[in-house]
Amino acid sequence: MKPKVKEKIRLSAMAKREERWGLLFVAPPLIGFALFMAYPIIFAVIASMSKWTGMNSLWGNMVGLQNYGKILTDLKFWKSMGTTVIYMIGIPIGMILGMLIAMALNRKLPLKRALTTMYYVPVVSSLVAVAILWAWVFNYDYGLLNSIIKGLTGMHGPNWLGDAAMVKISMIIFMVWKGLGGTIILYLAGLQNIPRDYYEAAEIDGANGWHKFKNITLPLLSPVTFYVLITSLIGGFQVFVEVQVMTPNGGPNYSSATVVFYLFEKAFSNGQLGYGCAVAVLLAIIIFIITAINFKGQNKWVQTVE
Amino acid sequence: MKKKLLATILSGAMAVTMLTGCNVQTTEQAGEAPAAAPAAAESTDAGTAADAGTAEAPAAEEAPAAEASDGNSSDSLTGNGDKTIRVFLYMQEHEKEVYKKLVEDFVAEHSDEIKEVVFEITTQDEYNQKMIANMTAGDLPDIFYVGPSAVRSYVDNGYVLPLDDYIDSSTLESVWGTAQSIYRYDGANIGSGNVYALPKDLSCFAFAYNQDLFDEAGLEYPDPEKPYTYDEFVEVCQKLTIDKDGDGEIDQWGVANADQFGMTPFLYSNGVKFLSDDMTKVNVANNPQLAEALTFYTDLTKNGLTPSVEQDTALGGYQRWLDGQVAFYACGTWDVAAFMDDATFPYNWNLCGWPVGPSGDGRSHTWMGSVGYCVSSQTQSPELCAELIARLSTDPDGQRAVSGIIGGNSIQLPNITDMAYGEFRDAVADGTVPYASNVDVIFGYFDGNDHYEAALQETDYTYNAEWFTPFWSGVFNIKNGDISVQDFLTQVEPEMQAALDEAIELQNSATN
Repeated sequence: MKPKVKEKIRLSAMAKREERWGLLFVAPPLIGFALFMAYPIIFAVIASMSKWTGMNSLWGNMVGLQNYGKILTDLKFWKSMGTTVIYMIGIPIGMILGMLIAMALNRKLPLKRALTTMYYVPVVSSLVAVAILWAWVFNYDYGLLNSIIKGLTGMHGPNWLGDAAMVKISMIIFMVWKGLGGTIILYLAGLQNIPRDYYEAAEIDGANGWHKFKNITLPLLSPVTFYVLITSLIGGFQVFVEVQVMTPNGGPNYSSATVVFYLFEKAFSNGQLGYGCAVAVLLAIIIFIITAINFKGQNKWVQTVE
Repeated sequence: MKKKLLATILSGAMAVTMLTGCNVQTTEQAGEAPAAAPAAAESTDAGTAADAGTAEAPAAEEAPAAEASDGNSSDSLTGNGDKTIRVFLYMQEHEKEVYKKLVEDFVAEHSDEIKEVVFEITTQDEYNQKMIANMTAGDLPDIFYVGPSAVRSYVDNGYVLPLDDYIDSSTLESVWGTAQSIYRYDGANIGSGNVYALPKDLSCFAFAYNQDLFDEAGLEYPDPEKPYTYDEFVEVCQKLTIDKDGDGEIDQWGVANADQFGMTPFLYSNGVKFLSDDMTKVNVANNPQLAEALTFYTDLTKNGLTPSVEQDTALGGYQRWLDGQVAFYACGTWDVAAFMDDATFPYNWNLCGWPVGPSGDGRSHTWMGSVGYCVSSQTQSPELCAELIARLSTDPDGQRAVSGIIGGNSIQLPNITDMAYGEFRDAVADGTVPYASNVDVIFGYFDGNDHYEAALQETDYTYNAEWFTPFWSGVFNIKNGDISVQDFLTQVEPEMQAALDEAIELQNSATN
């Protein structure tokens, strides 16, 4: 083995001074990262291996991987994980709707701006506020939806938030509604980046609308689709607020609770902070793996304009 | 290679931090973990197991309007001495005025000793989080709250001072007997041993009826001296469940119940206990008293004497009670002021006991709650602190003010037993304090007598309340007819036991 020789680069006095200034400039984000991200992450990983309750000593109650072992057989964890995954049905729905609406808006429309703004309003609204609003929209007796259903059909509408199966559908409806504006804006930007020449060339070759969509629009939007997919999946694993607001107890038979909701309940309602940290770390690992798989798989379908 | 490693670590870190955010992604922040991270803290308001004052929880949930201000304040009251005392509590705005005055007087009287009293008030929602932060930082206030459920862990972890040497026995004996015993702990059991706190208040969950609906139905009011039996209660409820407007749908019910809080008094009144005496074993699957009481309770809904499960999800019992749709509803001591307010509840009403089951001790039972003032074990001035909490807990004028004997605004019942039976009862009788005239029902629960008895909830004796959640949150399945009472009890027991085992383990780890 060759001994490693550290190469010394001689710096002029001025360069040294510049280097010091450079360090000073990168210091704030680095310190911020160390303090607010690196430290909490390491702390969470350590706490996940303990029976820490917030009051007892963390180091005196280390239990190794016991919490993780418990999670594997924890029915409530798997139930909430299942619900979290079911909610992700909303992701393709939102993407398809978003793309369709974006294509509809990507032409000369009289009220294009107004429409775009309207679709975007839910995105910039406070999640808590709109969740409270929708809890009333979904209300069984007094809700907007059931009033409309009763008016139209004379029958009582479904128990949107009070029925174990229905509550999942209601949540998906809400999440699609809330996220749609963001997806539309992204697709709209993507559409406007597609050079018109491609369509013209295709038209000369006799392509119809479907051909153009399938062979030009869809492939060239694939980077946007990829981005939306990744961010929606990550966000999908983190759903919490709407569940907490619309079904504070996790819904009938815990049917609307998500993993983060479960984690929160464990850590802050039941004083099991160590266990909560373990759920959080496990969730992070799952998100990381799924994101990694997505990045690996992107070569197969994501097209970029060279 | 190194770069790749770094990239992996960084993206891993990013994924971890992202999950601390709780938002559905918006396109702006999805790419940047830092933006998502702080969101976790803001959306929450739950208490922890170290919960002080669980009894107040339903009140907070039901309160129709939240306080307008953010409820945080910190006042500094100074004297000429050299001792500093930090007081950290939660209370409502109008209470704060009363107690701040007491602290001011206290500082004035001891101005040669006291340099400063920091009187810091926050909201109930934020209190636990801030206390945990204080504990983690090793920076305890000198005076803070402890709830009966937290006494054990606070003492086991050495946070609070035994008060026996600092409080004279006459002060202690002046408060309700129950309020004395729930803050005693001998290292193994609550109820005996050293005393660790003085009560800020004592509350209980009584039952109330709408007098106007009784008048309309031509029924006699419930007898405050003699609570209904289960059968009598059903009979009355049947007469009060009616289709008022004749459209074929019931729009007035005998009673409405919230499973989380309003179910246990029905069960306790049939002698039900969920746990073994040493609080280590769940006993529900083979518990005839529970099966009987739960059948009675769920039959109320099955037989249409309460709103249905669906109707309950649309509009909770509390709202229906305020709207005059139900004849009976639970009434916590903290609810009385709201029910006395015509703008909130424009009906005549009064207190009564929960119905008594056939297999209990023949008395009406309910649960009660409390929160107490304790002194930090790290305080530099234990005598002064103990004197101050005695003042906050039992100062006669302070108690007159918070109970409404002075000012007519009743926030709580007096802690001092003699004052409750004397001045307070007189003030209710002559109308100085707007209060339900059957206030003796509450005193009966507090003190225990031939007809009434109250105890802390069993969840107050366990490290957390998780073991009870599967029970109360699953009961609606019985009401819906999806499962029989016995099947439910058999099915739910293992889940409850597992959660209880976990709680016991945590309790023990807290002692280490």
